[in-house]
Amino acid sequence: MRLKPLYSSLGLDDVSIATAAIQKMTRVRVVDNSSLGNTPYHRPPRVIHVYTKNGIGKVGDKVLLAIKGQKKKALIVGHKMPGDRMTPRFDSNNVVLIEDNGNPTGTRIKVPIPSSLRQMEGNYSKVLAIANTFV
Amino acid sequence: MNILCRSRILVSSVCRKSSLIDQSAVPRCTSLIFKARCHRLAVNLSSCQQRWRYGARLKCPFESKRCYTDRGEGRFTERPENLEDETEEVEDNRRFCEVFTLDVLISLLRQENAVDLCVIKVPDHIQYADYFIVVSGVSPRHLRAMALYAIKVFKFMRNHGEPHVKIEGKDAEDWMCVDFGKMVVHFMLPDTREVYELEKLWTLRTYDEQLKKIPAETLPEDFIFDASEFTK
Repeated sequence: MRLKPLYSSLGLDDVSIATAAIQKMTRVRVVDNSSLGNTPYHRPPRVIHVYTKNGIGKVGDKVLLAIKGQKKKALIVGHKMPGDRMTPRFDSNNVVLIEDNGNPTGTRIKVPIPSSLRQMEGNYSKVLAIANTFV
Repeated sequence: MNILCRSRILVSSVCRKSSLIDQSAVPRCTSLIFKARCHRLAVNLSSCQQRWRYGARLKCPFESKRCYTDRGEGRFTERPENLEDETEEVEDNRRFCEVFTLDVLISLLRQENAVDLCVIKVPDHIQYADYFIVVSGVSPRHLRAMALYAIKVFKFMRNHGEPHVKIEGKDAEDWMCVDFGKMVVHFMLPDTREVYELEKLWTLRTYDEQLKKIPAETLPEDFIFDASEFTK
């Protein structure tokens, strides 16, 4: 039985979940072990451009982040928005830093990575090679 | 011509190793392969043909090695396809007894003088691939040549149903990757290999050193767990 929070009985329970995956100005979480992604900074990394036709980034899309005052490309490996059935949904918008030539900046990824990346069109084998767990 | 010779050496060495194929099938295979490439290459091989067919009936690898050195060309050159095909022997060629297995790939890489070949059998519970192969090369050009040759042989041997394979990381000169369904091959330079240490990760899955060095996640002090977010 689900306990309803107090404010739902007041009629204020339309808390909205993620509605549009990853777009400009979303704050993301860098999940690899690169120094750029893990050193603390007073501002969280934000997306400043999504490399797709529409500005929405789903799993497997490249984005441009602003991290520590510099621009860096990254690959989306999970988002809060529910996607296809039978694809994992994550509790945070996860991202792996990538160089311009496609090589990952970090060397290990602890966070689970969706195994559906393998079937997608794109160069994901390198990111899958440094991942530890697959979902 | 060279691609044919090398494919023959490759296939015959694999044929020799795998005991599934009996001795009579081997010369048939190699002569079929020869016929396949023969009428597509623009080289006049009439004199060579008799020698090849003769050689196919004897021990294959020995004859093919002789043919390879006879040509005298050290460089790997690609001949353009000629449109004047004498006979359509396409149907015969599809009945190959060779699939692109791990053995074929390994012998191919050895033939290309790959440095530090490492094959890791991936356990079943990790549903990624069956085999994970890491190869080093001498230079970026060497890596590219190995990757392209692997793809060439794969295309030569694949059946209708299998999808195409592409090289990932073509513009990265130090790390290239090819994913053949059941096998994944990574071509790296030795320095890149040192940095990433993929073999360590894939053999000692969770006990890998670099993974252990990642500090454990700690919640910030001002974190408040909002249960309402999860009841939606």
